[in-house]
Amino acid sequence: MDVSGELVQTARVHWASMDESSLIRAAQKGDQEAFEQLVRSYDQGVLRLANRLLRSTEDAYDIYQEAFLRVYKNLGNFRFDCSFQTWLYRIVTNLCLDALRKRKVRKEEPATIDTSDGPRDRMSLVEDGAAGNDPQRNLLSAEVKSRIDSTLRGLTPRERMVFEMRHYEGMRLRAIGETLGTTEEAAKNCLFRATQKMRVALGEFV
Amino acid sequence: MSITCDWIQRNLPLYVYGELKLDEEERAQAHLDSCPECQGALDKLTAMNQALDSAAPEMPEHLLASARRGLRERVSAVREVAAESSLWSRAIAWLGGPGMIWKPAGALALVALAFYGGRMTERGPVSVAAPGSAAAATRVRFVEADPSGRGVRISLDETRQRLVKGSLEDPSIRQLLLTAARDANDPGIRAESVEMLCSRSGESEIRDALLYAVEHDANAGVRTKALGGLKAFSKDKQTRQVLTRVLLKDSNSGVRTQAIDVLTQTPSQDMVAPLQELMRREDNDYVRMRTQRVLSQMNASPGIF
Repeated sequence: MDVSGELVQTARVHWASMDESSLIRAAQKGDQEAFEQLVRSYDQGVLRLANRLLRSTEDAYDIYQEAFLRVYKNLGNFRFDCSFQTWLYRIVTNLCLDALRKRKVRKEEPATIDTSDGPRDRMSLVEDGAAGNDPQRNLLSAEVKSRIDSTLRGLTPRERMVFEMRHYEGMRLRAIGETLGTTEEAAKNCLFRATQKMRVALGEFV
Repeated sequence: MSITCDWIQRNLPLYVYGELKLDEEERAQAHLDSCPECQGALDKLTAMNQALDSAAPEMPEHLLASARRGLRERVSAVREVAAESSLWSRAIAWLGGPGMIWKPAGALALVALAFYGGRMTERGPVSVAAPGSAAAATRVRFVEADPSGRGVRISLDETRQRLVKGSLEDPSIRQLLLTAARDANDPGIRAESVEMLCSRSGESEIRDALLYAVEHDANAGVRTKALGGLKAFSKDKQTRQVLTRVLLKDSNSGVRTQAIDVLTQTPSQDMVAPLQELMRREDNDYVRMRTQRVLSQMNASPGIF
């Protein structure tokens, strides 16, 4: 490794060992390496959430770009009034909600897509590229998948957000409430309603 | 307080997600151990959650890497613009001299100042504070002894600041912005000017400036802003020709992606060949994916045969 390579490596190790507040402060002062490290701490979750909510890798990519660019531009205004995760997810969820609303207006997201093999469920197409040969996934019937997808899409945007962030991202209800600008109790009620709708829709399958 | 079956079944989601208070969780556990009906409800909920996990779409492997690359490019473009803008802020402060306080006078004033400042700095001035002068900056042209034998004579070139205010309705303001969008040495000024001009892209002179910027500006941030102003012209022949060239030659994947978006607002068979060519030479996974999708929607093959 040349000297510059060693320096970069050293910087990465340095940032990796720092706590989040120090990383944020360094990034606020314009340290690019610190900003990238901060992005890497959360970007997989952000991309997963956007991909699940929007069921489109392209839209997820766009949300990722816009969210982290907004973080980059506004990081100087971050005052540690809430956790960085809450602040970031507030941006991400607002972007996703906007995208879902726009999609609803344009009705551009049909549940099925016409393919050479006839109409196919959008969700099944997304999975085809990545599912691999996981036996558990293969066992899951197409009907259950379809039912899950339609039930998720039938949730209100807020129920959907709460459910996705709690179930898939493992965020605490308190943090979810803060992210969505509401209380923990309200987030809890959204989770109850979402779970109840799921139970009703999937009751006969599980 | 004893826990009822109703309470358990209502709060099972909180139990499985570990969101109950510690004492509630302990009592719930005790109840579940002794109540087959509630245990059955828990098993059903667990099975449902497993089904949900299995049905979740997974991300294509390349997506994260592609998103990180795209972000790096976009941040880099923003930094470039910001660095140049900062340079100009310092230049403006220097032009103002000590004691000069610039109050927010709107972006138009900034554009005008930078424009005149740009003209001045091109000549590489030597700045001095000329006594009794309201000039923003002064360049000493020559110095000589006064023929009277007393004192000196100093010849100065002075550049004056002028604050220009006005709306885009005003042709002289538009002209200033058009010049700044094309001629200024500073991407920050170009980006600001292009962004303002975008709101008047219906005028052919302004559209020409945007087309020039999107194809020739050295800064990706400026090109991106210009593209934003051309969205409404996806049917315009000249716009399509320029954007097709941008699609094939722009070095920034974000710009290429936006060009695809604008062009495909009005799908047309004339796009097939350029898109196939793009598929052939494109090395960015995300741009390839989007191009492939557009071709598929147009019932065209991704390759050239």
